[in-house]
Amino acid sequence: MPRNGKFVRIALGLAAVGMVASLAVITAGTASAKTSSGTVNGAGSTFVAPLVNKWMGPVQSQLGITLNYNPNGSTGGVQAITTHEADFGASDAPLSQFNPTCTTCVQIPWALAATAVIYNVGHGSLQHLKMTGPVLAQIYLGKITKWNAPAIKKLNKGKNLPSTSITVVHRSDGSGTTFNFTDYLSHVSHTWKSQVGTGTSVNWPTGEGEGHSSGVAGTVKSTDGAIGYVDVDYAVVNHLGIMVMKNRAGNFVQPRAAGIKAAAALDTHPAKDGSLSIVNPPASHKYRNAYPICTYTYVDVQRASGANTANIKRLISWAVTKGQSYGPPIIFEPLPKAVVTFDKKQIKKIHS
Amino acid sequence: MTSLDVSTDATRRPFSGRRVRLGDLILQGVAGLAALGSLVLVGLIAWKVIQGARLSISTFGFGFLTHDIWDPVHDKFGAASFLYGTAVTSFGALILATPIAIGIALFLTELAPPWIRGPVTALVETLAAIPSVVIGLWGILVLAPFLHRDVNPVLHSVLGFIPIFGPPGTYQENVFTAIVVLTMMILPIIASISRELFLSVPSELKEGALGLGTTRWEMIRGVSFPYARGGVAAAMILGLGRAIGEAIAVAQVIGAFTGISINFFNPGNTLGAQVALSYTGSQTPLGESSLFYLALILLVFSIVVNLVAQLIVRRSSRRLGIAR
Repeated sequence: MPRNGKFVRIALGLAAVGMVASLAVITAGTASAKTSSGTVNGAGSTFVAPLVNKWMGPVQSQLGITLNYNPNGSTGGVQAITTHEADFGASDAPLSQFNPTCTTCVQIPWALAATAVIYNVGHGSLQHLKMTGPVLAQIYLGKITKWNAPAIKKLNKGKNLPSTSITVVHRSDGSGTTFNFTDYLSHVSHTWKSQVGTGTSVNWPTGEGEGHSSGVAGTVKSTDGAIGYVDVDYAVVNHLGIMVMKNRAGNFVQPRAAGIKAAAALDTHPAKDGSLSIVNPPASHKYRNAYPICTYTYVDVQRASGANTANIKRLISWAVTKGQSYGPPIIFEPLPKAVVTFDKKQIKKIHS
Repeated sequence: MTSLDVSTDATRRPFSGRRVRLGDLILQGVAGLAALGSLVLVGLIAWKVIQGARLSISTFGFGFLTHDIWDPVHDKFGAASFLYGTAVTSFGALILATPIAIGIALFLTELAPPWIRGPVTALVETLAAIPSVVIGLWGILVLAPFLHRDVNPVLHSVLGFIPIFGPPGTYQENVFTAIVVLTMMILPIIASISRELFLSVPSELKEGALGLGTTRWEMIRGVSFPYARGGVAAAMILGLGRAIGEAIAVAQVIGAFTGISINFFNPGNTLGAQVALSYTGSQTPLGESSLFYLALILLVFSIVVNLVAQLIVRRSSRRLGIAR
């Protein structure tokens, strides 16, 4: 068939052109990566991604560094830095939570924010619903299944809660936000601690799993009756309801600057490995305004970072100092001074 | 069998009786290397997967297949809920897709006016070319809310006496959504193979039947179906293989829940989707090894399914005396 033959020839021709073009792009790519030294590639946490995205412009103009970031989840970030695939990995869970983990890495707390409990019920009419840790644990254990359950009603007197079923949404990938959230639930519920526990991915008793923070936020946004957890910025951008959480002092607190700042005071002196824990601060007067589900989030870098070391160090030094000023508009709280001092020491440990 | 012997003899000495030329030798070498390469690749993949799964196999043994838990915190893993999810989604999709696909194939070969056949055939084949991630995205944004709002409640009220059509819960992403998405993905495979099979039915047979005064339907039932039966079965199994192996689109719409629920309107998970979703989520060596174990099960399934399809094709063509 001559007609068929012509088609085949055209198709083969197109395929050949495509292959040559992609080869050209690959060679060009490697060539440019070799010549321009001002590129730092990172991967990991979607929680911190809004802040890293804010940094990209100023990092380019102030440091001349092109910052690339692949938000593939905290576990993905730790994997990427462990295998030297990236210049840095970002994780909201400390390195000690991973197995295998990066044993040759320096762990640097580089941002501070809160995990918001988001909800979509009553078509936006129900703002500032109140929630406690134990009730939240009951919901995520599948024990409370309706929005007008007595336990939720009791916390929200005067609010017209519908009988809508609760759609529980959680992360399906390895996530530092999940670590922060399950760490909190383990602090407030014995059942949760013994039955499910704390981790970057856990055996969820109920609910549906979504990939990445954007997946959780998107599903909660599109599902009437849904509840989920994400970094506050995702909640704000998607106009989602944000739970006002009861802290141990008995106050109901929003995940905003004041609440995060108060919680951060709980731990400003990192352990030897660089980790900090500020979940569920005690009832004392000092933490009366603390939001209970806050976390430091970390950047992990190989001690021996090779040829790109200078750029990586410049980038992270900038991030923990000047970079912090880009946080507040998207509800990342600047790091306490003691943590910045610690970070500078950590950065010194990185060498080529 | 004599003819077979002759043909193998010819392949063993392909250039006998002709002068051996350098170009031919190079061609033979390059093509042979390519063929060998694919064999080596399959072997290497299988070996790597088995090696990766070894820790999990020695820890859980065959008990892995019967436990429906996936708990990275306590280092306990089992494949039962993914096996169940894979089985119900792929067979569910097959049951939905087969009659529609055969209908499409019959329409395109026997019933449609010629000017419709070309464009519709092209459209059906285009459906097969849509990347699965695109179908999955459409599944999340359009199909899942539509099914959840307009279809699932109706199915429950009409067929609610069957446990699989239980009360539609609150979850848009559920096993049934995954079944519908998979149906769309395997439909074009079954339809286009069936169409070719119906086209290959000798027209003398069909005309003979019509000449005997049969209706079109009787002709299709008496001539086309028996002629194409084996091939259609093979097409179904190929579709099943695609459904078993599909990971991304399923992961997007099934809701990623570990556990067995009879009700199709609850979230679930499949082997492929679990591997795709949590390859960056394993916290422990045992968790990672268990993912390899899931991949191994999937690999075995797809090899078996492909072999069965080939077997059916060979048997049915022998029965009909068609040389293939």
